[in-house]
Amino acid sequence: MTPWPPLLALLIVVPLTGAVITPVVGRTRAVRSADWSLGVMLATSVIALVLVVQVARVGPFSYVVGGWVAPYGIELRFDEFGAVIAVICLLGTLAMVFSRRYAAQAMAEQRIPYYYALLLLNLTGMIGFAVTGDLFNLFVFMEILSLSGYALVAVSGEKIAEMAAFKYLVMGAISSLVILLAIGILYALTGSLNMADVTGRLAGAPAAPLAVAFGALTLGFMVKAAAFPLHIWLPDAHAIAPSPVSAILSGLVVKVGIIGMLRVYQIAYGSGAVDMRALNHVLMWLGALSIVMGAFFAVFQDDIKMMLAYSTISNIGYIIMGLGLASSYGMIGASVHVFNHAIIKATLFLGAGALIFQTGKRTLTDLAGVGHAMPWTVAAISVGAISIVGIPPTAGFVCKWYIALGAVQAGHPFFAFALVFGALFIFIYYIRMVNAFYFRQPRDPAILEVTEAPASMLVPVLILASLCLIMGVMGSLPLSFIEPAVQRLLLPLGGG
Amino acid sequence: MEVVDARAALAPAISLVCAALVFASADNTFWRRFFSIAAALAKLVIVMSMLPGSLRGVVYTFNLVEFTEGVGLAFRADALGMFFSVVSSTLWLVTTIYAIGYMEREPNRRRFFGFFALCVSTTVGVAFAENLLTMFLFYESLTICTYPLVIHDETPEAMKAGRKYLIYTLTGGAFVLLGSIVTYQLAGTMTLSQPGILPLAAGRTTLTMLFVALIAGFGVKAAIMPLHGWLPSAMVAPTPVSALLHAVAVVKVGAFGILRTIYNIFGVALLRELGVCTWLAGLAAFTILAASVVAIFQDNLKRRLAFSTISQLSYIVLGASLLTPLAATAAIVHIANQAFAKITMFFVAGSIQRTTGKTTVHELAGIGFRMPYTMAAFTVAALSFIGVPLLAGFVTKWYLSLGALEAGEWWYALVMLASALLNAAYWLPVVYTAFFKTEPTAEVEVHEAHWTMLGPTLVCAVFVIFLGATVSVPGMPFALASAAVKFVFGM
Repeated sequence: MTPWPPLLALLIVVPLTGAVITPVVGRTRAVRSADWSLGVMLATSVIALVLVVQVARVGPFSYVVGGWVAPYGIELRFDEFGAVIAVICLLGTLAMVFSRRYAAQAMAEQRIPYYYALLLLNLTGMIGFAVTGDLFNLFVFMEILSLSGYALVAVSGEKIAEMAAFKYLVMGAISSLVILLAIGILYALTGSLNMADVTGRLAGAPAAPLAVAFGALTLGFMVKAAAFPLHIWLPDAHAIAPSPVSAILSGLVVKVGIIGMLRVYQIAYGSGAVDMRALNHVLMWLGALSIVMGAFFAVFQDDIKMMLAYSTISNIGYIIMGLGLASSYGMIGASVHVFNHAIIKATLFLGAGALIFQTGKRTLTDLAGVGHAMPWTVAAISVGAISIVGIPPTAGFVCKWYIALGAVQAGHPFFAFALVFGALFIFIYYIRMVNAFYFRQPRDPAILEVTEAPASMLVPVLILASLCLIMGVMGSLPLSFIEPAVQRLLLPLGGG
Repeated sequence: MEVVDARAALAPAISLVCAALVFASADNTFWRRFFSIAAALAKLVIVMSMLPGSLRGVVYTFNLVEFTEGVGLAFRADALGMFFSVVSSTLWLVTTIYAIGYMEREPNRRRFFGFFALCVSTTVGVAFAENLLTMFLFYESLTICTYPLVIHDETPEAMKAGRKYLIYTLTGGAFVLLGSIVTYQLAGTMTLSQPGILPLAAGRTTLTMLFVALIAGFGVKAAIMPLHGWLPSAMVAPTPVSALLHAVAVVKVGAFGILRTIYNIFGVALLRELGVCTWLAGLAAFTILAASVVAIFQDNLKRRLAFSTISQLSYIVLGASLLTPLAATAAIVHIANQAFAKITMFFVAGSIQRTTGKTTVHELAGIGFRMPYTMAAFTVAALSFIGVPLLAGFVTKWYLSLGALEAGEWWYALVMLASALLNAAYWLPVVYTAFFKTEPTAEVEVHEAHWTMLGPTLVCAVFVIFLGATVSVPGMPFALASAAVKFVFGM
C-alpha cells in the first residue's frame, strides 16, 4: 500500500512553488521571506516524514505523474536511499532558522528574498534528485540544484565569492555535460529514460558504448562528489559561501554525486550487463586517496571553514571507498554515512558560522581562546569534531566501523588500514582546532569579551550536535533501515 | 559467577563527574581540592567494595550502550581488571594529595586537576573494558586527556614533547583500532571475557599480522623498544604527571593492553601454536637490558627514572609472552610492584626538585641528611628494583625466573639476574651519593618537603614493603593475580 499517491509529487511541488513565490512575499519586507520559506520547509518536512515512515514499513513504492505509465510518463520512485530527503529537510529547516540573523549580516537586504528562494530551489533540486525514477529528470533536478548552488556561493556579492562561484560553475557544468552524454548513450541503447526500464533493456547491449556510458556517469558524479583529484572546485566554494549555505553544500549537495552513483549501481547490478569490477577498483582507490589527501590538505589550513571544506573531501572519500568495496558492510556504512556526515558537517559549518558571526574572525590563530567566550557553540563544534573523526559513541563511528569491516569483508584489509590512518590524520587537525579554541592563549584578548551566539543560531547548532550523539548511540537504527536496500542492490552479485 | 552491577561502570564514571566538578568550580581552590580528594576516595571505596566479591570469583558486568549488533560500550570487572583498577585507584588518591602539595603555586591548576581526574577515569575504563572497542575508546581518551598535562608548562620544550607524545600514541591507537576491526571480522566478537576468542582457522599469516598490529599499538604506550621515544621527552611534565604517566596510567594501560591481547584475544593455546611470542619475549628481554644500560648514563634523575620505567615495563611484557602460569603471575603482579616503587621514586624526585631545586644525580650529595625520610623511601624503592627479598620487586623477579624455567627458556632467568645487576648499577650510586657523600657546604639541617608531598611518598614506600611481604596472605592483591592466571590458563 502506498500513501495517498500525490504525496510524492507534493514533496517536489510544495518547495518548488514556495521557492518561486518567495521573492514576491519578501518584496516589501525581507524578513517575511524568511518566515515564508521556513513555513514551506516545515510543510515539506512533514510530507517527507510520512514518506520515510512509509518506506520503512512497506519498502519502495512509486508514483506515476499524471497517470502516464512508464516508459512514456514520468515516474517518481521512493526507496530507502531516497530517505535522504529526511536529512535534506532537516538541514534545510535548520539552515533557514540559522539564516535569519546570519543573512542580514552577510548580504545586502534586497538580496535576502532571492537568497531564500535560491535556498528553497536548491533543496527542491536535491529532493527531486533523490526521488526521481527517470534519468532525464535526474539530470534536470541536478541542474536545478547546481545552478542555484552556483548562485548561492556568489550571493554575498564579493569579488572572491564570484571567483569561487565561477570555478564551481565551470567544473559543475563540465560534469553535468558528461552525465548528459552518458544519459544520451543509454537512451540510444535502450530507447528509454526510465531507470527501471533501462535496467531491464540493457542486457545484450554492446560493451563499448556501455563502458563509455558508465565511465562517464561515474566521472561526472565523482566531480559532483568532489573526489580527489576532481575536488578543486570545492574548498573555495564551500569556504567562501555564507555558512548556512556551506552547511547545505558540504552536507548535502556533494552527496548528489553519491546518490547518483547509487542509482548507477542499481542500473548496473540490476541489469547484470555491466561489469563494475574495474570501476569499483577505481572507486576504492579514489576513496582512499580522497581520505588521505583531504586530510593532508586540511592539516595545513588556518581558516576554519577551509579546514572543514577539506574535511568534506576526506569524508566523501570514506563513502566512495565504501561503495567501491561492493561488500554489504561497506555499502551499508557508506549509505549511512551519507546521512550522518550531513548532520555532522552541518553541525561544524553552522557552529563555525556562529563563531564567525560573533567574532568576525575566521582563522584558528585569531579564534584562539574563543572556547571561554562561547562555551556552548564551541562545545557543539567539539562534539562535531569528535563525531567526524569517528570516535564512539558518536554518529561518525558507526559508519566508519562498517566501512572498515566492509574492507576486511571484501578481502581488502589494506583499505581498512588506509581508513584508520586517514582517520588518524583527521584526528590530528581536529585536535589542532579544539586545542586552539580551548588551550591556546588568545591573540587578541578582546575575543574573551565576545558573547554567545543568538538563539536562532545556537539552537540549530545544539540540535545538530545532539543528533551527532543520538545517531551514534542509536547507531543500529539507520543501519537496519538501509540494510534491505543494500541487500536488494547486491543481490545480483550473489548476496554480499 | 557473573553479576550485573552498575559499580563496574560507576568506577570510571566517578572521576568523570569529578573532572566536570573541577572544571565547574572555576578558580576556587577549596572546592577543587575537595572534589578531587572526595572523588578519589569515593572511587577507592567503590573499587574496594567489589574486591571481596572479586576474590570469591564474582565478576561484575554492566552493559552501557550498544551501537550496533555486538558492538558497544560494556564494562566487566574480572580479576585482571580488578587488580589493575585497585592499583590505579589507590595510587590516584595518593597522587592527588601529592599533586595538591606540588602544584601549590603553579598556574592553570583547574585544567590540571580536571584532566588529572579524567586520566584516572579512562584508566579504570580500560581496566574494566568488556570488549576491545570499549578498551580502544578509553585508550584513546587517555591519550587526549594526558596531553594537556604533558604540555602543562606550555614552554616550547613542553609543546614539542606534547606533539611527539601525540604522534607516537595516536599512531599506536590507530593500530589498536585496526586490530579491533580485524578481530571482529575474524571472531565475530570483540569480547575480553574469554580466554581467547580467535580461531586458528583464520590463518597463520593473518593472525600473526593481527598480533603484530595489536602489540605494536599497545606497545607504544608500554614503551617497548623501539617504540619508547616519547617517554623520556615527556619528562618535561610536572612530576605528579610523570608519576601518573609512568607508574599508573599511560604506560600501564599499554602493558595491560598487551596482557589482554595475549590472554583474552588470542589465548595462550593459540599463541603457543603460532609461536609469535618467542619474538616478543626476545624484544622484551632486549628492552630490559638496553634501557637499563642507557639509564646508567643519565645524570638527570627524571630521565634515569624514565629509562628505568622502559626497562621495568618489559618485565610485564616478558612475563606475559612466556605463556606459563608462573610467568603470567609475575607479569600481573608487576603491574602493582613497579607502580608503587616507581611512583615512590618520582615523588622523591619531585620533592627534591621542589625543596632544593636539584634535578641531577651528581647534585644530590648529602641530600640524605637534609631529607632523611624522603631518601629512605627512595632507598626502599631502589632495593625493590634490584630485587632484594621481602620487597615487591623480588616477587616479580622470582616468579618470572621460575616461569622462564617452567617454559624451558632458562636464559631469561639470566636476563633477570643481569637486570638486577644493572638496576644496582644505576640506583645504588644515587643512594650512595645521597647518604655517603657530603654536601660542599658544611651546614646541614633537616628540611623535608611539605607533608602533602612527604606523606604520599612514605605511604608508597610502605606499600612496596607490604606487597613484597604479604604474597602468601590470602585476600591480598596477589590472590587476585592468581585468580586471573587460573582463569587464563583454564586451571
